[in-house]
Amino acid sequence: MEDIMLPVVILGILFIGFPWVIFHYITKWKTAASLTTADENLLDELHDLARRLDDRMGTIERIVQDENPNWRQLGSDAVETALEDRSDRILEASRSNRPFRRD
Amino acid sequence: MSSPRTKFYLDKHNAKWSGVCAGIADYTGLDVTVIRIGFVLSLFIMGPMAFLIYFLISWMAPRKPIELYEHDPAQKKFWQGVRRSPHRVARDVRSRFRDIDRRLADVETYVTSSNSSLAQEIEQLR
Repeated sequence: MEDIMLPVVILGILFIGFPWVIFHYITKWKTAASLTTADENLLDELHDLARRLDDRMGTIERIVQDENPNWRQLGSDAVETALEDRSDRILEASRSNRPFRRD
Repeated sequence: MSSPRTKFYLDKHNAKWSGVCAGIADYTGLDVTVIRIGFVLSLFIMGPMAFLIYFLISWMAPRKPIELYEHDPAQKKFWQGVRRSPHRVARDVRSRFRDIDRRLADVETYVTSSNSSLAQEIEQLR
């Protein structure tokens, strides 16, 4: 019984199991890779556009940063408006020898 | 079958023999050495079958066109990501656009609010 079963199992794996696995992955791969040339070009263009916009944003942020180092707080806080107020408070703080607290 | 950049090619530039392993490495983004070691291991497991598959691939797959060789490693990585999962790459590009949008909104808020503060100062000076 053992002598018959072993070749049958091996042949089964070799001629049914292997092709099954291979064709399973081939069909899976074919359904997954459904990207057309147009899609590909679109994706390429969008990727490139995102990269360029990212660069431009970086440049603008650097310019604004140069202009005013704490522009993020200014932008997010509506109460803090003028730049002169801020420097006055820094002056005041240095005069009264207290550390300047930005809040 | 599919678009030129997501196809499988033989990579003749980095080939040791006929470029199948280098092609797989270029396609998936895995290291060439790992693929080659895997091929040698598969020789032990499958024996002549591995050679048969190798020659079948090298016979069937086209060689990579010269214009598709990417010199920029970031670009190469991007296309490997596209081959693995176009959906994830599309989501990634979208998230980058959202990031740019958010940063632009920050700058816009700053510019508009600082302009209004400037206008206030001018009003005070009058």
